[in-house]
Order: sequence, then structure tokens, then C-alpha cells
Amino acid sequence: MVGIGQFDFNLFIKILPDLARGALVTLKFSSLSILFGLIIGTIFGVFRIIKNPILPKIAAAYVELIRGTPLLVQIMIVYYGLPAAGINLPPEVAGVLALSINSGAYIAEIIRAGIQSVPKGQMDAARSLGMTYFQAMRYVILPQAFRNIFPALGNEFIALIKDSSLLSVIAIAELTRTGMQIYAVTFNAWTPLLGVAMFYLMMTLPLSKLVERFQRRIGGHESP
Amino acid sequence: MSLLKIINLHKRFGNLYVLRGVNMEVEKGEVVVIIGPSGGGKSTLLKCINMLEPPTEGKIILDDIDLTAKGVDLNKIRQRIGIVFQQFNLFSHLTALENITLPLRIVKKVPKEEAEKIAIKYLKKVGLEEEFASYYPHQLSGGQQQRVAIARALAMNPELMLFDEVTSALDPERVKEVLNVMEELAREGMTMIVVTHEMGFAKEVGDRVIFMDGGVIVEEGKPEEIFTAPKHPRTRQFLSMIL
Ligand SMILES: Nc1ncnc2c1ncn2[C@@H]1O[C@H](COP(=O)(O)OP(=O)(O)OP(=O)(O)O)[C@@H](O)[C@H]1O
Ligand SMILES: [Mg+2]
Repeated sequence: MVGIGQFDFNLFIKILPDLARGALVTLKFSSLSILFGLIIGTIFGVFRIIKNPILPKIAAAYVELIRGTPLLVQIMIVYYGLPAAGINLPPEVAGVLALSINSGAYIAEIIRAGIQSVPKGQMDAARSLGMTYFQAMRYVILPQAFRNIFPALGNEFIALIKDSSLLSVIAIAELTRTGMQIYAVTFNAWTPLLGVAMFYLMMTLPLSKLVERFQRRIGGHESP
Repeated sequence: MSLLKIINLHKRFGNLYVLRGVNMEVEKGEVVVIIGPSGGGKSTLLKCINMLEPPTEGKIILDDIDLTAKGVDLNKIRQRIGIVFQQFNLFSHLTALENITLPLRIVKKVPKEEAEKIAIKYLKKVGLEEEFASYYPHQLSGGQQQRVAIARALAMNPELMLFDEVTSALDPERVKEVLNVMEELAREGMTMIVVTHEMGFAKEVGDRVIFMDGGVIVEEGKPEEIFTAPKHPRTRQFLSMIL
């Protein structure tokens, strides 16, 4: 890279719409991924604690595999590696897939901790009233687990918004890539970088405020 | 004919041998009180009766159905056995009303409005005004929570009620309100197995008292027999300690 350049206010104003579009793409990818990640994470989080000879092992292996490798590598494996196995995915699909699988592993751990934070008596009470294991999970355990882990999930979403910048390597025009493209055209890095950082903050700050509010709320009344 | 028959019940948790051959029968309408020192296996016995804890050995027979047999629909059976716990175990994310309607709706498939009617009816039965219906457990006193828990169990219309030290976690002044509900229930003819340290309740409401220690039934008999003339030295020792 040549010089980082001066901050150029006129340029800044001019690129705002582009950056906003990039931020929307970032938001779209991270929202979709947290949604799928929640589904994956709930399934594997329940697998981790279920009484079964194999499911907890499969879930543990998945979590270790994902947590032990960089997200960047995971993205590239899904996008460049899967075609070698005969699976060709458009970058958008590969991106959401990689991010979902990644966040799913972290969410699985959060959910497992959340389930374990619910007192054992809740399951006893639910089963004693004739609920199946599945009904007890669905109507009694998971709702309480989610309430307890809402802040952790919020933090995961914040992390995902930032991590989605790695999708720039597979040419997805999210916020970071948009900034880099502006740099490539204008040879001014400072201005778009500041803009990019500003847009990330605009997404993450309200979320972290929300998480903070919720944390205080839960602190107010604990389950018995 | 007896409603419940427990035959040679054994329960181990790994190396811990908790129930060592319990035999017991409970008649319809009978109130059986179980007393005994901590760790003697009383809670485990109750949890085996509704199969929350699967017995290691032995049979639990409810109305001719062997609950330990393979292929028994335990979810169906458990609707016939209500249990109330020391720690209330109300669903903390649900209101008092929803605590009662949830199992009615998803287990018994009762429509919402009817379930709510039933819930209000049982809340009233345990002495809670309609205004408490919308309270969350943490907004209720211990005694109120425990009465909601009793209402929740009763709303399933069970034939047998199990009570596991339901007043032990309550402030002393709250104990009576819960015992009154249980006494009333006994008067109405409910079949009950009550684990308790409330000897007054045992004497007045119990038809039979069972003293359990070390995973076995050491002695049983009419309340007046057990409390005035216990035969076994261990029973005598236990009673002298708590009376
Ligand atoms: N799920 C479990 N896993 C392992 N051990 C258990 C379990 N449940 C109970 N135990 C053990 O079994 C023994 C009997 O426990 P139980 O709760 O049945 O006694 P109890 O007579 O109800 O005592 P208390 O008066 O203190 O309630 C205790 O040593 C207890 O630690
Ligand atoms: Mg006990």
C-alpha cells in the first residue's frame, strides 16, 4: 500500500451511500447467519447434553473443529474447497453457510451452558406432569435457557457482524470490501476506512447497549 | 384392592445403594406419611414411584399396570400421579396461571379457554384469589408458590399425589397454609404419600406412618402406634431427636 492519504471530507460524503449499501449487506449476511446459527446451535447444544451414546460426541467434535480453526480458513474451504468435492456454491450461499456453521458452534456452547443453568427440578416437574422430553425442552427448559443467555447471544451477534468482514475474501460486497474497493479507485484509504469503522460502530453500539440493558434486567430476578 | 403396590424396589446411583428392597402398598383414599432421617432414600422412593428415577430392580404397580415393564407409556401414567417438590419447581418463565395451563394444553390437549377455567378453579381451591393468576413465581411468597405447584398437579386430575417435604423450604408462618390445603385434600379422599417432618400433620392426617432409614422400611403402623409406642430402636432414636 502506498500512503494512507489525507481525510477527504468531500469524498467522505460522496461514498456514504456506497458504504451504507455495504453495511446493509453486512447486516443481511450476519442476520441470516445468526438465524441459521441459532437453529444449528440449538440442535447441537441439545445434542451435547442429551442422554445418548453418540450424539454428544458428534456435537463436541463439531464444536472443537470449528473453534479450533480460523473462520477465514472455514470460509475458503466452503467456497474454494467444496467445488473440489463437486459442490459449487455461489459466494453468497457459501458465505452464509460458512458463517452459520461457524456461529452455530459458538452458539451450541452458549445454549448448552444455558440449558445447564436451568435448575434440574424444572425438568423433573415438567416430566412429572406427563410432558415428553421434547415437550419439556421446548416449553420449559429452552425458554428459560434463552432468557438466561440472551446477552451472550447478543454478544455473539456483535462478533458475527465484525467477523463477516472476512467474507470480503470471497468477493462479497459487504462493508469492508466496499471500503477497500473505494480505496482501490481513489487511492485514499483513510477516508473509506474511517467510514467503514463508523458504520460498524453504528451497528454494534446499539446492540451492545441492548445487551447491557438486558443483563441488568436478568440480574433483577433470578429463577429460584 | 390397593392402588399402588411397590415390590422389592432397589435403586442404585452408581456405587451408592440408596433403596435396598422396599415393599409397600397403598390403598385408594389412604394417606401414607413417610418419615426418616436425611439421606434415607425418601425422595428417591417418590421419584421411583412416578419413574422419574428408573428403579434398578423391583416393580411399581399402579392399578394393575407394572410401570417398570417395557413399552409402558410413562407420559400417560405420570398424568395419573401428581408430585409436589420441596423446591416448588414452578416454571419461572410462566405466570401462575400459565404454569397450570401449559401441561393441560400440551399434555391433555385441553383448549386454552377451558384450561384457564380449570386453572382458576384450582387456584381458588388452594386459596389463591384470581388476581394471583397473572403473577410470576418470583412475585409470590414461598407458601403461595407451593400452593400453585399443588394446584398445577391437581389440575391434571391425578389419582395419587406425592408430596416431598413440601413445607421444608417455607418460612414457619407459611407452613400452615400449605398443610391446610393438603389436609383438605386428604379429607376429600385423595390418595396421598407424604414425606414430611411435620409430625402434627402425620398424627392428624396420616392413616399410616412409615419410618424409612438406610434405604429400607424400618417400621410402619398407625400414627398413634408409631408415635407413642415405636417398636424399633432406630425409630425411637429418630423420634426422640425430632420431637
Ligand atoms: N440423582 C442422584 N444421583 C446420585 N445420588 C443421588 C441422586 N439422588 C439422590 N442421591 C443420593 O441418594 C441418597 C438418598 O437421597 P434422597 O434424596 O432419596 O434422601 P432423602 O431421604 O430424601 O433425604 P432428605 O431428607 O435429605 O431429603 C443420598 O445420599 C443422595 O445423595
Ligand atoms: Mg428428600
